[in-house]
Amino acid sequence: MTEQGVDVARLRREAELAASQLTESWEEINLLYSIGEILGRTVTLADAAATILHEICDTVGAGLGAIYVHDAPRGLLNPVAVLGADAAALPPVAVDDDTSIIVRVFRERRPHLAPPDERGGAREALVRRGAMLAVPVLWTTPQGSIPLGVVSLSAPRGSEPFSAGDQKLLAAIATQIGTAVQIDRLVKASVAQERLAHEMQMAHELQMRLLPAPSSLAPDAECAARVEPAEHVGGDFYQLFKLGQGRTGVLIGDVSSHGYPAALIMALTMSAMAIHAQSHHDPAAALDALRDSLSDELTQTEMFLTICYVVVDPTAGVLRFANAGHPHAFVLRADGTTERLAASAAPLGLGSKAPSTSETAWTGGSDVLLLFTDGISDARDEAGAVLGEQRVLEVASVRRRDGPSRIVDGVFALLEGHMGGGVPADDQAIVVLRN
Amino acid sequence: MTFTVTQHGDVNIVEVEGQLIVSNRQELKSTVLDQLDKGARKVLVDFGRTSYIDSSGLGVLVSMSKKVREMGGDLRLANLNEDLQTLFELTKLDTLFQISESRERALESF
Repeated sequence: MTEQGVDVARLRREAELAASQLTESWEEINLLYSIGEILGRTVTLADAAATILHEICDTVGAGLGAIYVHDAPRGLLNPVAVLGADAAALPPVAVDDDTSIIVRVFRERRPHLAPPDERGGAREALVRRGAMLAVPVLWTTPQGSIPLGVVSLSAPRGSEPFSAGDQKLLAAIATQIGTAVQIDRLVKASVAQERLAHEMQMAHELQMRLLPAPSSLAPDAECAARVEPAEHVGGDFYQLFKLGQGRTGVLIGDVSSHGYPAALIMALTMSAMAIHAQSHHDPAAALDALRDSLSDELTQTEMFLTICYVVVDPTAGVLRFANAGHPHAFVLRADGTTERLAASAAPLGLGSKAPSTSETAWTGGSDVLLLFTDGISDARDEAGAVLGEQRVLEVASVRRRDGPSRIVDGVFALLEGHMGGGVPADDQAIVVLRN
Repeated sequence: MTFTVTQHGDVNIVEVEGQLIVSNRQELKSTVLDQLDKGARKVLVDFGRTSYIDSSGLGVLVSMSKKVREMGGDLRLANLNEDLQTLFELTKLDTLFQISESRERALESF
């Protein structure tokens, strides 16, 4: 062969190589474009994973493939897409399985090309035949990369083993899969969050509906009330009872702590008290029966509640009450004085002594019953100073003649002014009555 | 909030500094239960440097007191500021505890 002939042959070979490399690159670029499209139009991660796996196996030339995603709570790598094997038969791999190639790649966050004679784990045997190329699926953040799963290929087509180029291509695709996995997780978390917020709002509305409408006491009494839980639901509540012959029962309760545990005790108390208030006209007897009803629940949960039950009888001119550890219960008198309805026993769930009934004079149409919880008097301003019981009493006394609604509004205006838009640390409840 | 445990004769004194509230009540409980495990039977909780106790803090004091009693011991309180003294009186919790106005008085009372 002439020197010229050698050059032509070399040039031809180089041209063929360049053309082959170009074709290969075109296929790779085409694959990356396809994956971009797949991720753009697919709704579920499983659909996207299956399609991507099919495309990679096709391009690289692999008869078996799998995409595993990390299930952190269970400590597993779950197959989300399988190609060339029965997907239902492929088991998850535990992240502490030291024999597994998939696990090693996941834990070390490095690709690995296992030659045919390298032993792997039994649980990945279904997607392994001959060489296995596995790369980690990573989600890269400014703080570093987080491993999300692994993509593996095996059973290389023909006699050619997987190349360094195949590994590079698979790593690029794994990055895209990582983005899809992370987006899928964020979407699921966001949907769950939305559902939770909706359920919490429902719980709030349900709890508010358990509280009776103050207008239900008409025409026996004029009443106003307001309850503001610190969370969606809380443990502050009130209850109103029409007891016949013009008598009215008013109850305020404050379950220790707040949130769902307190709300459950509150609901239990209200349902028990609905029975006891009608069957026991003496306030202490009603609270004693309530104490029996709640005893097991309060002991088991280590919770307790302060409760004050008042029966106003304007015909007899008497107010009778039983108070178990509730600190803020008052009668506002026409002469501007306030009388505390003092507790005669510790809160229910704490002491063994039952409250007794006390009585005081009641002037219908003039005296005002004011019950509130410590979420109001202990509310703090930005500097941490508490509002204090005295300021609540002053506002209520000034508005005594204006009626229950104006008193409740006045107390909440005072409270909101004091807190200056801050978030309340405790549930707040107030109930005001005159008749 | 911090707890300081000191020993005075056979009385273990737990001093509570700051607020006793929902977020730290379990810490106080485990401090006292630790003392019980180590054989303490006379426990004095000193509130001289405590500004505020919320309802869950009150709850934990009562449950600790029960626990100490079950073990054949005695838990007493001392040094409540004026607001806390009022709180114990209004809620009738003063009927469940022996409360002294100073640490010295409390130690004498054991």
